[in-house]
Amino acid sequence: MPFDLKSLAREPLIHFILAGLAVFALNAALTGLRARADQTVSISRADLERMATLYTAEAGHPPSESDMAAMVADHVRDEVLSREARRLGLDADDTIIKRRLAQKMSFMVDDLAEQKAPTDADLRAWYDANPDLYSEPQRLAFQHVFISRDERGETAEAAAIKVRDELNAQKSPDWRMAGDPFMLSRDFGDVPAREIARTFGLEFADAVLKRPASDAWQGPFASGLGLHVLRITKSTPLTLAPFETVRDQVLADYIDARTREANEAEIEKLIAQYKVQIDTLP
Amino acid sequence: MRTLYLVSASLIALAACGAPKAQVDAASAPATAWVRPAPNPDRNAYFGDLHIHTRSSFDAYIFNVRRTADDAYRFAKGETITHPSGFDMTISGGPLDFYAVTDHAEYLGILPAMDTPGTKLSEYPGAKSMFNTDASTPEGRQRITDAFQTIGATVRSGDEIKEIYDETVINSVWAENIAAAEKHNEPGKFTTFSAYEYTAVTSPKNGMGFGGGNLHRNVFFKGEAPARAFSSLDSVNPEDLWDWMDQQRAEGREVLSIPHNSNVSDGQMFRLQTYQGGALDAAYAEQRMRNEPLVEVTQVKGTSETHPSLSPNDEWANFELYDQLLGSNIVSQTKGSYVREAYQNGLKLQETKGFDPFHFGLIASSDSHVVGGAFSEKNYWSKIGIVDGTPIARGSVPFPGSKDWSSQPDNPITQNAKNWFSRWSASGLTGVWAEENTREAIFNAFRRKETFATTGPRMKVRFFGGLTYTDDMLTSPDLVKRAYAGGAAMGSDLVGNANANPGFLVWAQKAADGGLLERVQIVKVTSKGETLFDVACASGTPDPKTNRCPETSASVDMATCEPTGNGASELKTLWRDPTFDAKKRATYYVRVLENPSCRWSTWEALRAGAPPRPDVPATIQERAYTSPIWYIPG
Repeated sequence: MPFDLKSLAREPLIHFILAGLAVFALNAALTGLRARADQTVSISRADLERMATLYTAEAGHPPSESDMAAMVADHVRDEVLSREARRLGLDADDTIIKRRLAQKMSFMVDDLAEQKAPTDADLRAWYDANPDLYSEPQRLAFQHVFISRDERGETAEAAAIKVRDELNAQKSPDWRMAGDPFMLSRDFGDVPAREIARTFGLEFADAVLKRPASDAWQGPFASGLGLHVLRITKSTPLTLAPFETVRDQVLADYIDARTREANEAEIEKLIAQYKVQIDTLP
Repeated sequence: MRTLYLVSASLIALAACGAPKAQVDAASAPATAWVRPAPNPDRNAYFGDLHIHTRSSFDAYIFNVRRTADDAYRFAKGETITHPSGFDMTISGGPLDFYAVTDHAEYLGILPAMDTPGTKLSEYPGAKSMFNTDASTPEGRQRITDAFQTIGATVRSGDEIKEIYDETVINSVWAENIAAAEKHNEPGKFTTFSAYEYTAVTSPKNGMGFGGGNLHRNVFFKGEAPARAFSSLDSVNPEDLWDWMDQQRAEGREVLSIPHNSNVSDGQMFRLQTYQGGALDAAYAEQRMRNEPLVEVTQVKGTSETHPSLSPNDEWANFELYDQLLGSNIVSQTKGSYVREAYQNGLKLQETKGFDPFHFGLIASSDSHVVGGAFSEKNYWSKIGIVDGTPIARGSVPFPGSKDWSSQPDNPITQNAKNWFSRWSASGLTGVWAEENTREAIFNAFRRKETFATTGPRMKVRFFGGLTYTDDMLTSPDLVKRAYAGGAAMGSDLVGNANANPGFLVWAQKAADGGLLERVQIVKVTSKGETLFDVACASGTPDPKTNRCPETSASVDMATCEPTGNGASELKTLWRDPTFDAKKRATYYVRVLENPSCRWSTWEALRAGAPPRPDVPATIQERAYTSPIWYIPG
């Protein structure tokens, strides 16, 4: 459909400029502007209109305030990074990366940000603070007998207790023949907690993961599917790998996380060195 | 309810990041490494999404999508990432088992490069028009619009814009997507495939732009992927894609493609002619089935099972239909666009000419362009980016300034919401039955067509056909083993004999934390027509005269969206076709229906305190479709 300047002007762009980009403007003001011309990112009225037009061309309607805010924020970030890249002469070498200057600059910021190698104490502190990254999740191996609530209704609970007691008294010769048929396996190998949650539901997983391994049949436990009597043959707690065995991974994760943090901080700093000027629509 | 929520939250956290720290005891716990589980010969159900776009797709970048393939895989594994509109997205139902990024191969990664000042691509006139034109004049604005439309138009025409068709950039971004898939593939835990979308579209009936009959396919490599992807800029004829895929296979790269959105193909996806208008033949059918064993039957842009005008006796046929040709308000032709009709035409061709080009199984995916699908009515975010990122844009709540649906302003936002976004769906996922979660096992399941499609919930369904199945199997602990040993699983052929009326064994189980099941149906298709049978009901049994379950009490409390009434956790039956003819070919597939639940648009209206949009259904019945079993007379 044809683009209509009046409909664009009716869009509350001025509000968006005040709200959505206050963060850039304020940041710049507080850190002291460098007034040099090349330190100014100007978003002219024409720029705004171009973004809006491009958006409108594909979407069929003008962007909202928050759409504009998102587009302008990304524009400022990319513009700052590509200017910094050119300032450092990064556009002078290979051709492929040259086409993605902003991206390369963000790698460059990675390099600038990460200067000193972490000490063993740094790594140990990171390892201690993030045990979940170096742990195998809790796992259970179990067999289960299914009691269908669909089939048995009100009597399901009593039937499940009876099955459990008979299995424990060894009156029932084969647990594989007890109870009702189950669509998936009756015998679960060494499965991690999240698999149990996905197959049987969160409530069931939460209940059975707390139970110890035992020769006895336990339960019944309710799932979204019905009732289950369980023999937990093995419970492997969440295990933290010893530091020495995962040191390489800790080092990689540590560098990755620190780089990511520092990268974002550096980019924020770079953007703060620029003055962001945004034109207004009449 | 609140307690349950807390339990859930703790487990979601556990699923996402390992476990609560309090339980860690490094000193006492021996470091027992996880061992990949042994393959299960009875096969496990795995769920995944095979249709995902990132910033490198030309139509995603324009809507502020800045996330990469790496982000997409992290989302599928349970990490929270940011939507282009700024809110957090976390996958509903926990991490998926498999996932594939399928960016458009055409101009892959070119738009981001054009929008980067200082690059050679940004210097080209087309890039300047799009990203560096003075838009203060009508001429300038028209130039921007034309520049973007020109790109879409060349994806359709297949005549690339030489100045921006920079193969070095395209191939390097393709290599990045391959690298991301390799990085995230973890045998036994999480499976990825190197994949892309081939974006062929027929010419629109009028005007410029992207609209036209959709012939899109996603192309998946089992292992190694080639350095270059065949796109519609190489040829807009899908038969040329198949030639290229045959060549890839000959060079040792196993590959298959999966077409999607036949519903908006304008009758082209399953039409009874070749692309050039020639007669179909056995060689065509063989090549098509060798390369395209599966079809994506439901996704955000609608469901392609069948249409009420094609299936007037199917009371559930009017489900999440969408029929606007891409980027337009032109209505797609119905005939030739739906899966069930294609099955019937396949049998007709088989009986009259001896080949069937539509002997395919079924899968589902999201087609999300924001690197992750919603899969949940309750927590939906559509699929494009900032253009459909809010309830207002999607038209689920009245336009600002209006209180109800009778006084909606007529503007481009409300028009797009009405024609497009409000009619889209929180769909879908692929289920496969495979021995283990590895590329090998899951890709082999694709080849066997042992797959099913859901509209989002992770319900599971098994389907077998056998000549010697007996009722006692239903209560046998070895049911699945016996079913595999004595019959055909979903996606395969069942060869009969003159004396046997085969038994069809269906077993459906609701999603662990999903809605209850209402009924299981078998759709029978022959060359003469189709019949729909209810075969298992949550309450009672199907009436043998009408083949329908008794009326159910299941409903939804519209004040809270809480479901009410009875339903089943599992439905299971051994069914024999009362209209069976041992001498006639027939195609059988299963459809599982959940009880009614609130549609996404109703959830959003409820949260906003507004009445639900009147021109879309307030509730839907989530469902699953299996690949068929093809009965072949012995």
